Amino acid sequence: MHEFQAWLWSTLGSIHIVRPFMTSAWGWPICESLHFVGLSMLIGCVGTFDLRLVGMAKRVPIAAMHRLIPWGIAGYVINVITGSMFLVTTPDQYIYNPSFHFKILFMIIAGINVAVFYLAAFGQVKTLGSGVQAPLFARVIGGASLFLWTGVIVFGRMLTFYRPNPCNGEPEGFLSVCLK
Amino acid sequence: MLDPFFIWLETTALSVWVREATEVYAFPSILSLHTIGMGFVAGMSAAMNLRILGVAAFVPLMEFKRFFPVLWAGFWLNAVSGVVLLIGYPTKALTNPMFYLKLVFIGLGILCLRSIRKSVFSDEDLDFQAVPRRGRLWAGASLACWTGAIFAGRLLAYTYSKLTTI
Repeated sequence: MHEFQAWLWSTLGSIHIVRPFMTSAWGWPICESLHFVGLSMLIGCVGTFDLRLVGMAKRVPIAAMHRLIPWGIAGYVINVITGSMFLVTTPDQYIYNPSFHFKILFMIIAGINVAVFYLAAFGQVKTLGSGVQAPLFARVIGGASLFLWTGVIVFGRMLTFYRPNPCNGEPEGFLSVCLK
Repeated sequence: MLDPFFIWLETTALSVWVREATEVYAFPSILSLHTIGMGFVAGMSAAMNLRILGVAAFVPLMEFKRFFPVLWAGFWLNAVSGVVLLIGYPTKALTNPMFYLKLVFIGLGILCLRSIRKSVFSDEDLDFQAVPRRGRLWAGASLACWTGAIFAGRLLAYTYSKLTTI
């Protein structure tokens, strides 16, 4: 694991294209703002669909609600791009950050949840018309999606507080760990 | 001029707790709740506005009323967590013009929501018809306001000039 982290750090750190922009006065703040806009699009559009699956607004046919999903995916793409820009600019702040590990873990589980939904549930629920409750299996997937993406937000927000620092004889920072 | 007020507020127990408590359920959790609330209030407004503008046109518009409680829960979660964060760092926010810009965007965002509720959702026949121009303008304005509020809020972390007065 240690070698893998060191390899990731040097590989990601060797990507220099976005560094001048990200270290400029407005680069990082603009990407952070876009990251939060993307987050809202994802939670707003995917979350609304999930709530329909779970059982809210049952008068909406599931296939009709599904037309919001591309906008959630657009938010996700914005966040993968801006997130990668943070990652290659300061790789050590993420690779050695326990909160980042949990964020990635939750993103992977959320991705599996999406795959399970499209492989095993969507074919059936897309035919469900107005006023029909989704089957239990699909409702659980919808609930899991809401929980997992909320978890991704929480661990994203916690990144700041679990930042590794070099600790050159200085005391550890607020909730932070030393990078040995 | 506001210094005595800032000093008084920053020495209250709640303010000190917000800034100094090292438990993960303190400041980090308040910030996380503020972000989750943002996702729901800005995101669900966005989903509704997109529907008004013509996306997912087969979703009966009136059914979006059902999501209003979730949207307002997000708003109130953020009003409360936002006030707690403000009590923790009053100088940081109140001496930064960006904070007032954020409040203006939020105020206008709420105004848009209320206008949409009145002008769009009052017409039960609108379920599957194209929304009149006025409603679509409010929806576009609402998208712009919440995007502005998110940008201004995020920029607070980079534009403040003074963290605390004490």
